[in-house]
Amino acid sequence: MCVHAITLHRTPNAMNRVVKALLRRHQTITGYVLVLPALIYMLFFVGYPIIDNFRLSLLDVNVMNVSHGEQPYVGLQNYRDLFEEGILVTSIVNTMIYTAACIVLQFIIGLAFALLFSKSFRFAQRLRGFIMISWLLPATITAMMYKFMFSGDGVVNELMTQLHLGSHVDWLVTPVPAMITLIIANTWIGIPFNMILLTTGLTTIPKDIYESASIDGANALQKFVRLTLPLLKPAIYSLLVLGFIYTFKVFELVLIATHGGPVNATQMMSTYAYKLSFELFKFSHGAAAANVMFVILFMVGVLYLWMVRREEVSSS
Amino acid sequence: MKKRYSAWLLPIVGIAVTILFLFPLYWMIVTSLKPEGEIFRTPITWYPHTIDIKSYTEQLSGSSYNIWNGFKNSAIIALGSLAIATVLAIPASYGLGRYKFPGSGVFLLLFLVTQMLPSSLILTPLFILFKHLGLIGPTYWSTILANATIGIPFSVVTLRTYFAGLPKELEESAKIDGCGTIRTFFRIMLPIAMPGVVVVMVFSFLFAWGDLIYGMTFISKESMRPITAGIYTFLGFQSTSWNNTMAFGTVSIIPVVLIFIFVQRYIVSGLTNGAVKG
Repeated sequence: MCVHAITLHRTPNAMNRVVKALLRRHQTITGYVLVLPALIYMLFFVGYPIIDNFRLSLLDVNVMNVSHGEQPYVGLQNYRDLFEEGILVTSIVNTMIYTAACIVLQFIIGLAFALLFSKSFRFAQRLRGFIMISWLLPATITAMMYKFMFSGDGVVNELMTQLHLGSHVDWLVTPVPAMITLIIANTWIGIPFNMILLTTGLTTIPKDIYESASIDGANALQKFVRLTLPLLKPAIYSLLVLGFIYTFKVFELVLIATHGGPVNATQMMSTYAYKLSFELFKFSHGAAAANVMFVILFMVGVLYLWMVRREEVSSS
Repeated sequence: MKKRYSAWLLPIVGIAVTILFLFPLYWMIVTSLKPEGEIFRTPITWYPHTIDIKSYTEQLSGSSYNIWNGFKNSAIIALGSLAIATVLAIPASYGLGRYKFPGSGVFLLLFLVTQMLPSSLILTPLFILFKHLGLIGPTYWSTILANATIGIPFSVVTLRTYFAGLPKELEESAKIDGCGTIRTFFRIMLPIAMPGVVVVMVFSFLFAWGDLIYGMTFISKESMRPITAGIYTFLGFQSTSWNNTMAFGTVSIIPVVLIFIFVQRYIVSGLTNGAVKG
């Protein structure tokens, strides 16, 4: 009604402009109304805690003063404590070794699975679906299964003895084998994710490229190295970064299978931050450790967004 | 150029690979059905020679916590988180997918970033926040609220691509027929995006179902903790009773397997949408 009253005596051109402006305002308002509830929720329960982490890491908050009482400002003392104690550095190194090993293994096996199950044979689709289960299971359950299989009298040691592959290994209580166990367990979780993304990547490669390569006399290996891998590049990029982020998150798996042990040999940044806050009740130290983790993740996140942007620019 | 042997060789290789790959799952279920004495018998028994379902029926020693109670707690937490995530994420993804407004790019970026943050990163400040809100104690609320923060960004990012992909003519023809914004959404857009909605609901449920860190940190009363926390507690005992723990694990994957059976084809598409296009 109102619109008509204002625009009646104007020229059609001006009328169009007014209608457009009103439509745009309608778009903006509706957009905000729809998005803001979820955004505010996330800002309150995720955004605020991230900022509060910085505040907490500069104070001395412990079990005595967490609810009430004075929380003295100590500056960077918490960070100094953590780096002097050395476990934080150990946990950073452990997390990096673990993440790198997992990403590489998941990718190689995931690619092999993707190549196998993207061939058209009976049950291929269904079997690929079954493999997805390992990705959907709660990490707690996976940790429990691997802890059992790799325990002293577990099925892994039993198999190794039966097949004469080596002597009894105390997998979970010896430093290097404990790390290997965790890497195997996490690789098991990550394979389906790699397989699915690489399968999607494979289906986007046009078939006739291979045919013309065959005519030119290329063999299977040449076709794989020269054609398949380069054409999978976008999928590989996102897998590397997403793989990093998802593997870096590891918490339940380590907490349950090794609890960071033996003697911090598998202590990760996440489990260490948890231990500081909720086993030792040094909340400020926990916040400081989490902040170091945040800085590392932030840098990788920026790298990822930069890569996505570059892909988008080059493909458009 | 198809080779002869692929007709029977490839299915056999595929099945063998799948069976080997899923062995840990088989081993968990088999162990849960074995009597205590058979678990560490040498030579190892590859299937239970005597089936014993005692581990499913008895309460775990030294605690008031039993499997079905843990199952109930996990269900309450997961359904609560699922409800919050769905109610908030559907409008947000619709707004980001269908409307142009200043700041929408930044908002999407914020959701993308929060999707990648580990729970352990915000655990300490979140604990203190909930403590001030009076939600640390014998209550499910803190855990439900915290777990929804995992479902929301995933749902927004995944559903946005669904809504953005719908043709503009749908909306326009609905408008010509006299549908308002709200009616267009409920009558036309939402039903079409249903496969996507199912995917994000499933994932929001699964994220919360698998939660351990929030449940065991925020819920002070052991009998209200999720099933994953029960497993953690019982694995911490000096002598783990493996058939009981494995029964716990088997029961806790029931919803995962059911979901997998019913919505498997949606899951693959949801995963690729959320991860690649995100």
